[in-house]
Amino acid sequence: MRNRGQAKGDRGQGSVVRGTCVIIFAVLIFFCSGYAALAVDINDLIFQGADFHYKGKLDEAIVKFQAAVRIDPGNEYAHNQLGILYAKKERFGDAFQEFSRVVQIDRRNTFALLWLGILHLRQNDLNNAFEKFQEIVKIDPNNADAYYYLGAIYNFRHNQAKAIEYLKKARDADSGEADTHYRLGKAFHNVDMIYNALLEYDRALRLRPSYTVAINETGWIYYNHGSYEEAIGEWKKTLKINPRDGDAIFNLAKAYNDLAWKALSAGNRKEAVRYWKKTLGVNPSNKAAKYNLKKYGK
Amino acid sequence: MDRRLFLNLLGKGVLASSALGIFPSLVWGKTSFDYALEGQNLIQSGNYDGALKVLKEAVRLDPQSDWAFGLLGRAYRGLGQKAEAVDAFRQAVRLNPEDVYSRMMIEIMTQKPIPKLKKVKKPLTPLEKKALEEENQMLSRLGSDEGLEYQVKRVVIDAGHGGFDSGAVGLNGLKEKDVNLDLAKKLHQRLQSGGEVKAFLTRTEDYYVPLSDRTVIANQYQADLFISIHINANKNREAHGSETYFCAEKASSKEAARVAELENAVLKYDKPFKKRPGYIDIEEILFQFERKLYWSESGKFAGGFQDRFKHGLPLKSRGVHSANFYVLRTAKMPSILLETGFISNSNEESMLKQPAFREKIVDAIMRGLV
Repeated sequence: MRNRGQAKGDRGQGSVVRGTCVIIFAVLIFFCSGYAALAVDINDLIFQGADFHYKGKLDEAIVKFQAAVRIDPGNEYAHNQLGILYAKKERFGDAFQEFSRVVQIDRRNTFALLWLGILHLRQNDLNNAFEKFQEIVKIDPNNADAYYYLGAIYNFRHNQAKAIEYLKKARDADSGEADTHYRLGKAFHNVDMIYNALLEYDRALRLRPSYTVAINETGWIYYNHGSYEEAIGEWKKTLKINPRDGDAIFNLAKAYNDLAWKALSAGNRKEAVRYWKKTLGVNPSNKAAKYNLKKYGK
Repeated sequence: MDRRLFLNLLGKGVLASSALGIFPSLVWGKTSFDYALEGQNLIQSGNYDGALKVLKEAVRLDPQSDWAFGLLGRAYRGLGQKAEAVDAFRQAVRLNPEDVYSRMMIEIMTQKPIPKLKKVKKPLTPLEKKALEEENQMLSRLGSDEGLEYQVKRVVIDAGHGGFDSGAVGLNGLKEKDVNLDLAKKLHQRLQSGGEVKAFLTRTEDYYVPLSDRTVIANQYQADLFISIHINANKNREAHGSETYFCAEKASSKEAARVAELENAVLKYDKPFKKRPGYIDIEEILFQFERKLYWSESGKFAGGFQDRFKHGLPLKSRGVHSANFYVLRTAKMPSILLETGFISNSNEESMLKQPAFREKIVDAIMRGLV
């Protein structure tokens, strides 16, 4: 899952011991170059802030980073961390200010620009979000995240040619994101480029085997090409991961209903009844299956 | 030295061999750990070139060592090879998501542009070959429009009711399900013959299709727009006119809310979204954005259709209404529900019987699509 700048809320203790020495050393090296006089204080604060953040202690992390930016108002990393922390605390206005501050310090800070874009999306402000992501790719033509969001926006507008163009760039810049492969697969799927769609759904699933939406879409590709059993197999796979997945339930119910009708049309009433029973097995309130079982089941 | 590291070293005989001044490689083959430890010492002494060599060996011997990858990232960083450094740190984090240092370095280094990492070309799999052929054949044929306007190239047309569910029935026996199907088929034919839009029907004959199946069909065909065609009815025989519904978070009127509540009385399988505290789910932001975008587009389409009805049909416009319809909500595209007159009104029932009037309705829907 795409989680720019977000740490896990908790962590085990095993790596902490080993990590601590390394971090102190590295952070000192990293920051001491520009801020020799303030090195100890600000490095301590940033390290402590990051450590709290990664442990999910958001309030404590905010206090540390606030202290850090008081000492060094030009510290982009600290401002960005504050932005993320405020966003996590749902203080979106404050988050917006922090990221904006970073962009004022350095317009090439693509991390802050990206989050400004995401915050615009959150407010359904399509044009400003789009503008921010475009600004990023002008600064950094290898920025996978910005290409991803641009591709996703075109995907939402159902402009699949542009969605494919941008999502391919996102994939080529960083092929390690399941979401990128999934959305690219969707864009290909929408224009009937099924081999490309299958390939991208498969890549998404290799990265995240529990990505049920990719499994469900793979099922439709099989289904629309007459491979009903394979399609059913895919949706069953989803139900093993999440037995309450609405899409898989309704897809299966529809598939069984269709197969029942096919069987009935071919004169195989017994087979049709078997499929309608299966429909009710996945979706007990399916009125069509109930009615048809009543009519043909005797 | 921490206890874990000490025990590891002890277990591998490093302490003993170091104490004797003998390199472990003389006693037995060097392990990934040995190389990583050596790399760490070289980094600390500022010899990044030397560190890089031994750390590459460390990760070759143990591709699961997050520690070695983290050190490799530091060595690359020391040499100014940012892309390689970030790649190594990412590998470390993938292997151990709790690697705070690597995580922090990725965040710090990727705040600004970094060069692109050179990729190693691998031979294509059979599916990749097919995909490439397909791309060469098809991708250039797709029109590429820069604009952000919503594009409709696939429409799923839903003829409401069917089979044992007649829908509303007029005083003179006209059944809603039959009118709906005829209108849907006419619209389907018109769209298909135009060639620019692919159209699909949720039913082609007189049979019942459950509500859930209807939006499933729209999702099945990756539709850009879902149009559900209905004819209205009311106990008050005087009620007349056309209206259009679409899905929205808030109902536009009490009546719309009541209708939606009735429609929503189906089994709900999806778990409600549970917010994870202290975490921003970016995909959820995208999902909400997408849904609101579709609702907003639905509103625009609904307005467009109703406007065409108002000007193209001899029917009173009852306006556009919105409510949180469960069924429309499950469609992953803009979706609208058209009520093209009242079958319970004898005057409108007789109009709905006429093929010419039905053509007019289809004309109005077609114009609403443009």
